[in-house]
Amino acid sequence: MGKLPQKHVWTRAHRNLAYQALALLLLFGMVALVVVTASTNLADRGIETGSEFLGDRAGFTLAETWLPYSPDDSNLWAIFAGIGNTLAIATLVALFSTFLGLFLGIARISDNPLASGIARSWVEIARNSPPILLLLFLYSFVAKILPTADATQILPHILVSQRGFAFPWPTFPVSDHWLALGSVLGAGLVFAASKAAKRRHLRSGKKPAWTAWAAMLFAGAVFTGLAMTGDGIGVDFPVAHGPDMEGGLILSPEFFSLIVGLTFYTTGFVAEIIRTGLISVPRGQWEAGYSLGLSRWRTLRLVIIPQMLRVIIPPMNSQYINIVKNSTLVIAIGYADFMVVMGTMINKTSHAIEGTLIIIATYLAINLSLSAVMNRLNRAVQVTER
Amino acid sequence: MSAASHLEKARTTKPMWRRLVGSPVNLVLSLMIAATLLVALPSVIRWALIDAAFFPAVPESCRTISGACWSFVIAKHSQILFGIYPDDERWRPLLVCMLLIGLLVYSVRPAAWSARLAWLWVGALGLTWWLMGGGLGLTVVESDLWGGLPVTLILTVVAIGLGFPSGILLALARRSQLPVIRLLATLFIEMTRALPLLSILFIASIMLPLMLPETMLPEKFFRALVALYFFASAYLAEVIRGGLQAIPKGQFEAGEAIGLSFAQLQAKIILPQAITIVIPALTNTIIVMIKNTSLVLVVGLFDLISSGKAALADPAWSSPSVETYLFITLIYFMLCFGFSRFADRMERRAKVYAK
Repeated sequence: MGKLPQKHVWTRAHRNLAYQALALLLLFGMVALVVVTASTNLADRGIETGSEFLGDRAGFTLAETWLPYSPDDSNLWAIFAGIGNTLAIATLVALFSTFLGLFLGIARISDNPLASGIARSWVEIARNSPPILLLLFLYSFVAKILPTADATQILPHILVSQRGFAFPWPTFPVSDHWLALGSVLGAGLVFAASKAAKRRHLRSGKKPAWTAWAAMLFAGAVFTGLAMTGDGIGVDFPVAHGPDMEGGLILSPEFFSLIVGLTFYTTGFVAEIIRTGLISVPRGQWEAGYSLGLSRWRTLRLVIIPQMLRVIIPPMNSQYINIVKNSTLVIAIGYADFMVVMGTMINKTSHAIEGTLIIIATYLAINLSLSAVMNRLNRAVQVTER
Repeated sequence: MSAASHLEKARTTKPMWRRLVGSPVNLVLSLMIAATLLVALPSVIRWALIDAAFFPAVPESCRTISGACWSFVIAKHSQILFGIYPDDERWRPLLVCMLLIGLLVYSVRPAAWSARLAWLWVGALGLTWWLMGGGLGLTVVESDLWGGLPVTLILTVVAIGLGFPSGILLALARRSQLPVIRLLATLFIEMTRALPLLSILFIASIMLPLMLPETMLPEKFFRALVALYFFASAYLAEVIRGGLQAIPKGQFEAGEAIGLSFAQLQAKIILPQAITIVIPALTNTIIVMIKNTSLVLVVGLFDLISSGKAALADPAWSSPSVETYLFITLIYFMLCFGFSRFADRMERRAKVYAK
């Protein structure tokens, strides 16, 4: 048996391994360097690391929070208050802009030149101006038109003053907690009822009117929750006290401008997505629906919309994530969102590294859960192939 | 019949009056819009034109009027555009703005893509540096005095210029067959895309001073630039990856079959095609970058919005912020809208040639 010549072979596989090892080595080197310098820098400045600061008293005020917050609360609670504000903004803007964008998208392909012209200008303004400027502009505009002296009534029971806009708001005496409990219970019951209905539908082929059942269950649960609070539901009308207002739901000028501004901006993008979805369904699909004897509404609901959703859902997912990201812009008009809370906290406690990790983890968590929900939705509307 | 054509047809074949009032829906729509315009337009026009102050551009002109104070914008436009740059030297930032816009417009044309383009960028950025900073015959202007539109444009152009090559590398890395490389690229891209730019700017401004030795502490300007650069490379990488995915496998195989190395294959065959496919998405990303640069205001850089705010702080004027923000929005709008129109036209021309 002849001996094969022992040549050193530098194959592609070796090279690939070497590249990857090199990349890892570089990464570890960089991380090590950063960790070493960061720890010496931190030691030089006498900054401690650790998560104990989360339990300390926050000590800073936040202009407006949806969760109850005071400077005496802990840093951890301040973070939650910030996340609460961010989610409140994002949810409201997502709801409004989806709704408005639907109409604007339809208006965009309308044959009425006035409607399509207005929709077109809206879309172009939204796409070509920075959202932060829209917020600044709106905020200064709102500040300008609000009455400087006494609170004024613009519509029956709707007041405006320097403090913002006041609307009538339903009141639930005793506590909101029972109401919340009732709603959660109701939602749970509705979910269980719909599952049961679906099972029965699959088993027997008969479609139970579960919506009616569910609505009754939900209403029943909410009213049980309300009944436990003793009194019935009331409406709280705002009252003017000179330049001040009391009662009702008061929206600050900051909150009002940021909701309007971000909604205006996002609606422009949603409208384009809706338009793409609308024109992606060929007319033949409408005709096919009619020729099966479906009504216009049922054709829309059963044939057109399911096909539209396939085109719409993936870009809508990135729009919703963009809303969460754009909600950070509210810092420009002095509203406190999650980033503002983190910035203030890091400046105050010097826990920069921990703060950075919290920022990254929070946005990743929000965006990943959003994507998870939207992906589920997307799977539900995909073509089922055999 | 293409998907959109039945909708487009209705818009073009019907006469105007039928589109306005021809059907009950259109009649109601037209009436509603017309009524809204009739209510809103007169007060807007009165505020913006009739009751507004234009000339003379002095503070007193705005004291007595109820409309817009455009005289402020007229008097302060130079300060809003160029910040506190010395008055006599403002032709220099103006030239820089035109140079950078020209560079962007020139570079998105596929015809311009050659090795020369990289040198052109280096040259243009060097020229920008010299014009802004001075020296070699020009008066020296410290970077603390830079501000306004040139800062916005420099940040945009440099972030895109640096981000583009990195974006290509990241896109290739994310599609690599080497699992470690792929994982690292994916992690970087997804992390950067999950975070709002504002938080990236913020993290860069607090973490960079901690992570680097005291001696190489970067200035505010460079901290913001690092953040924008990371942001641009991650977003450009995803756009380019989209183009790479659209290239048929046969192209790769053909390149390998004639014995090209990986670098030759990518540079000569794959990337030119991939990038041409994604030009519309690239111009969109550039517009997003121009818009996003407005956020550096938050980390204390002296961009267009900050210089507008500084101009508003003049106590002699009645602080007409609505007018000032409108003016700045208009500048951004013209930049972005003009750029997207230009890109659209190019794309249409490319399609005509392709036929």
